[in-house]
Amino acid sequence: MTTPSKGIYLAILGAAALAVAGGAAFWYASQQKPQTVADQLVIVDAATCQPATITIPGGRRSFEIVNASDRPIEWEILDGVMVVAERENIAPGFRATLQVALQPGEYDITCGLLSNPRGKLTVTASDEATAAASEVTLRKFLGPLSEYRVYLVMQGNAAVKCAQTLRDAIAAGDLDAARDAWRQARLPYRRIEPLAYRISDLKNAIDPSAAYLAGREDDPAFTGYHRIEYGLFSQNSTDGLQPVADKLLTDLEQLAARLKALPLDPALLTALPGDMTSQLAQARVPQGENPYAGNDLQDFAASLEGIAKLSGLLRQVVASVDPGLDQGIAQDLQAAQDGVAALQSKHRSYGDVPPAARQALATDLTNLADSLGKLQPVIGIN
Amino acid sequence: MVGKYLKTTALALALGGWAGMAGAADPSLDLVGPLSDYKIYVAENTGKLVEDVTAFTAAVKAGELDKAKSLFAPTRTSYEKIEPIAELFSDLDSSIDARADDFEKAEQDPEFTGFHRIEYGLWHEGSTDGLGEYADKLLADVQTLNDRINALTFPPEVVVGGAAVLMEEVAATKISGEEDRYSRTDLWDFDANFEGAEKIYTLLRPMVAADAEFTSKVDGNFKAVADVLSKYRTPEGGFVSYEELTDTDRNVLSAKVNTLAEDLATLRGKLGLG
Repeated sequence: MTTPSKGIYLAILGAAALAVAGGAAFWYASQQKPQTVADQLVIVDAATCQPATITIPGGRRSFEIVNASDRPIEWEILDGVMVVAERENIAPGFRATLQVALQPGEYDITCGLLSNPRGKLTVTASDEATAAASEVTLRKFLGPLSEYRVYLVMQGNAAVKCAQTLRDAIAAGDLDAARDAWRQARLPYRRIEPLAYRISDLKNAIDPSAAYLAGREDDPAFTGYHRIEYGLFSQNSTDGLQPVADKLLTDLEQLAARLKALPLDPALLTALPGDMTSQLAQARVPQGENPYAGNDLQDFAASLEGIAKLSGLLRQVVASVDPGLDQGIAQDLQAAQDGVAALQSKHRSYGDVPPAARQALATDLTNLADSLGKLQPVIGIN
Repeated sequence: MVGKYLKTTALALALGGWAGMAGAADPSLDLVGPLSDYKIYVAENTGKLVEDVTAFTAAVKAGELDKAKSLFAPTRTSYEKIEPIAELFSDLDSSIDARADDFEKAEQDPEFTGFHRIEYGLWHEGSTDGLGEYADKLLADVQTLNDRINALTFPPEVVVGGAAVLMEEVAATKISGEEDRYSRTDLWDFDANFEGAEKIYTLLRPMVAADAEFTSKVDGNFKAVADVLSKYRTPEGGFVSYEELTDTDRNVLSAKVNTLAEDLATLRGKLGLG
């Protein structure tokens, strides 16, 4: 065994020097008020942020966070309980930068330990923030389009599941259970109808009305929901309905698969709620749609849920572009929902709802359709 | 220590500084499919989380110590898989998953609640005594989380950036074994974090498949991680104690996870969401 070489000593010396330099860097970072090229410097020490109150103009802003405490931290900008942006795992003595697009408003900032008091971030109006808010981009539609596809998949699956329950009740010859199952089975279909009714081959098998068929109830093309409704509520029997229920289930399975595979785009999403609302206002509310079961109001409420889902997603896009239209849609939607709820509290069957009351509801829906129709010129992109 | 911090901070700088400027392309409508499939994945996991936490907290409240301990790690996995979304809600992330050292008085801090508070009771104190209120709160919190997530339109950049965020967290604050310090069930969490990151990557992979060099590198690193973790699986489908992880394997995991974090951090730029 030889004695340790000079090289080893040099290496140890070098390592020691590095350790001292590291310590010095740590000390420097924690003691100095460092310069920054970011829009805002924030130093987080053991107890608080410095500064703890920040005012900055809206737009794309950069923050440089210096961790002057003795433990790793994360730094967050919060809007209520929601994290707007965060930079995680900043080690003691180190700094990290965070870029975030900020709209005017009041935000909280976290400052180290969860038990430390939070700081305040006030974002003021600016030309840059106004321009970013009013700009309509494909990126702003990505979230809403994705969320609508989730809704289509979930409600499409629910429609299939409900149709299974209906078929089982019919197969068991249980009239009361089948009637309950039928009422429930309509709801998920009505929620996704704004898109489902555009798939015309399936729509004609799933949802035809006898009124539009040459042979009315005896027409061989009278299939789907309303054929089953006719059997259960007009003929008061489950007899002969099993093949119809089997076919409805198959058609709904196909519908769910087709909706899942259908490409969505901003123009389509923007058009869907207004078109559906117009249909309700012009035809279904004045005439009624479930002539044998008479539970049209329950269906209308489900339709409005589907319209509310779409409107809510589009309002996320329009809110910053045209706040007035955003509010108008919210108010008109509420009025239509209140209108349906008021009639539901008074009438058991839609057949008892007088023409004047139907007209009043149709007017509420026309107002909503008009507001939704303004979306295309305001946020329409191709 | 300094070396570890240097590494993670360099990483944080890379993520914050460069990813934001690398907007190579505008986002494509092709993202709608992966983004919505990811939400469905998350929704399935929060549904499972509510189900599992219901059973876990029932065991805690019934004083069934062994059963509660056996349910702790598997119950956490559905939370760990979806952390990029779950941690968007700062109040729930704190009350469900904060560690003792996030609080001034550590384990004795009245604000210390959630999984790790119960873990502390079950393992460190060896008892279910006094855990009832934490169990009730945890169940209420995961139910609220499930409701909020179902109602949330997922921000595209959070989903796409989520794969790197998961890996960065493992690298910075988990590989060291500080997450499940009382139960030593950290390997369950790692596995769930990797699955959550790989899910995002797999959904987005067709959109970046033209860059074969990138995908083969990331594929290889995920495989390497899976190979290491598979050595520590138990026949029952779980994992052995974190203490059995060898230094060699910890170093392999650490290296792979850092590389994955760096590579996955480029997804936002590649997909026009920088």
